[in-house]
Amino acid sequence: MDQLSHLAEGFAVAFTAQNLLFLVIGAVLGTAVGVLPGLGSAMAVALLLPVTFSLDPTGAFIMFASIYFGGLFGDSTSGILLNTPGNSSAIATTFEGHRMARNGYAAKALGTSAIGAFLGGFIACVLVVFFAPYIVELAKVFGPAEYFALAVFAFVAISAVVADSIVRGLVALGLGFALALVGIDGMSGAERFTLGTPVLFDGISIIVITVGLLAIGEVIHVASHIRRGRPEDSIISPKGSPFLSLADWRKVILPYLRGTAFGVPFGAIPVGGSEVPTFLAYGTEKRLAKRRGDTEFGTTGSIRGVAAPEAAGNATAGSAMGALLGLGLPTSATAAMMIAAFQQYGMQPGPLLFERSADLVWPLLASLFLGLVILLIINLPFAAVWAKLLLIPRHYLYATITVLSVLGVYAIGSRTVDLWMALGIGIIGFGMRHFSIPLAPVLIAAILGPMAETQLRRALAVSEGDPGILVASPLTIVLYVILAAIVAFSGLQHLRHARRDRTATSRSVRVGAGR
Amino acid sequence: MTGAPEPTAVTTGTLRALRTPRWFTGRSELIVVAGVLALAVGMTIGIVTMQVPDGTAFPGPQFFPIIVAAFLYAVGLALGISVLVSPRRAHVADDPTELSTDMLEDLGGLDATSEIRVVAPETLAAAHGATAPGGLDVKTVLITVGALVAFILALPVLGWLLSAAALFWVLAWAFGSARPLLDIGIAVIVSSFVQLAFGVGLGLSLPAGILEGAFPWIS
Repeated sequence: MDQLSHLAEGFAVAFTAQNLLFLVIGAVLGTAVGVLPGLGSAMAVALLLPVTFSLDPTGAFIMFASIYFGGLFGDSTSGILLNTPGNSSAIATTFEGHRMARNGYAAKALGTSAIGAFLGGFIACVLVVFFAPYIVELAKVFGPAEYFALAVFAFVAISAVVADSIVRGLVALGLGFALALVGIDGMSGAERFTLGTPVLFDGISIIVITVGLLAIGEVIHVASHIRRGRPEDSIISPKGSPFLSLADWRKVILPYLRGTAFGVPFGAIPVGGSEVPTFLAYGTEKRLAKRRGDTEFGTTGSIRGVAAPEAAGNATAGSAMGALLGLGLPTSATAAMMIAAFQQYGMQPGPLLFERSADLVWPLLASLFLGLVILLIINLPFAAVWAKLLLIPRHYLYATITVLSVLGVYAIGSRTVDLWMALGIGIIGFGMRHFSIPLAPVLIAAILGPMAETQLRRALAVSEGDPGILVASPLTIVLYVILAAIVAFSGLQHLRHARRDRTATSRSVRVGAGR
Repeated sequence: MTGAPEPTAVTTGTLRALRTPRWFTGRSELIVVAGVLALAVGMTIGIVTMQVPDGTAFPGPQFFPIIVAAFLYAVGLALGISVLVSPRRAHVADDPTELSTDMLEDLGGLDATSEIRVVAPETLAAAHGATAPGGLDVKTVLITVGALVAFILALPVLGWLLSAAALFWVLAWAFGSARPLLDIGIAVIVSSFVQLAFGVGLGLSLPAGILEGAFPWIS
């Protein structure tokens, strides 16, 4: 039980005043961006990344991790009270959560979701702590070919399987690769796509890419529709106690556990974060309710339908942290941002991180637990207070985001050329939003692309150009086979829906013609 | 899935509702195709003209870019074909494009009847006829981009405090604030706060511009 003593040491570091302060700042910020629709924790980390250069890395990562979890606590608040989920991870919670709110159980729905987020995250973090040494053992047998296979897995999964349109996902992926290729090639020293200007020798900073895409692109996108009129939303004000009664507990304990069981494995594989497991958890609860003859689903709002997706959402965040620290594999946009943060500090997440930077990793893991407790405290009784954030006029919100984006980009190197690049990428990001091209593949490709290239070239250099080495070990074969199966499944699904859509359309056309 | 034309009739619940065409840009996505192909051509030129140091072993610096360029040609063409075959809607606000709607519907057992629609404010506006379909607010977009361009040009001259305050003020106005005078105050407070917190507090060097020496805390 080495882990426990490491974790105890980690708690000792996490409990210092400075780190606790970062933890609380991160929790508050994370909840805030979670509550506000349109803002996400990936954007928050991107904006904070450049301004935290001068901080000690442990403090910065503690803050980022608690932003990540905080976003998942906050996002259901606006979903439940306003029927506008703060993030896509809360869509599944919103179905039943908003129904409960409309039936006068808003406080209970908020409480259920906060407790679910806590439990899911907590269980996942416990599992990460206990499995961390095994993940590291597994990762140690990884050679260049295995790392390349893992990166390919992440690329294909995020762009082709998860994205709504396969082609558009792949376009985004290609753009990310291209952005990451600019600069001097580390292995040969050749200048690549620098147009001869020294400005680009170091490549395009990942901060420029992320702030441009996530923040500036979002601001321009909002500009394209914000003045088009917006009916006043009615926020349901939560009354009553958010705490669950014993009868409620009896109802929700199993959904909490089922949700967590869906969330934990999905956090460790790169399918874009918590949407898939939250929907799986929601769908399961709904089917079970149907079998039980439970009529709450879809009518008065079922507490189970809130509990399971919330637990699933935060469970993915926990195991995503495990995959991030142990394998260096980002499984969501926010995790990708944290990889970028590690690179900024000159660390490469992966098995070596546990050995080389144990003084960072264990306090980080310990602070995940502390962060969850703090998030529960600031979310369970005060959800109604957080809902007040929704009253901030949106023009001030987006003006502030713009100012913070240019601040962050300028802070990288105090040069305006970064600002021009960020603006250009922001315009591209707006175009991508406008044309429904997903952004997450760009981030994953830009962040993992250089690693994939290095590993591919290393593998091929070892084998003297024989591509057979890429599928030479059992582990790579397993990864590629799983990937092929997922792609086939997803392709079939797209086909089936396309066919169903077509028949539905032709039917409605016929009806229209008959009239 | 119904093919009904008006958004209010589509009650799949979540996501499909938001996919109902709200403005038909038809084939304007060909701009994206052109961009992707231009990027691929640019990369090809970059690869051909790349100066590779002597004695670089096989998977050299051009190896991966060649794969990426070929990939870009392929996806560019594929996107072009798919746009030509089935012109489709441009992006609808807050439509989660990061995940597959088909997959989520299957996983969640969504069945077009029992889920509440999760409404994005913009969709609601459209459903109420508050917006004319087909409108991309070009004016506000241009003001926003213009404000950023002006900010970047002004930053070295005017300094952070003034240019950031101006950026904030212009954007707040462009995004629909009705109280420009109050906004001046808020803008100055925000930019001063950033200067104090990040410039003085965290030691970021923000340009002082023409206010150089005016206050001891600007430098």
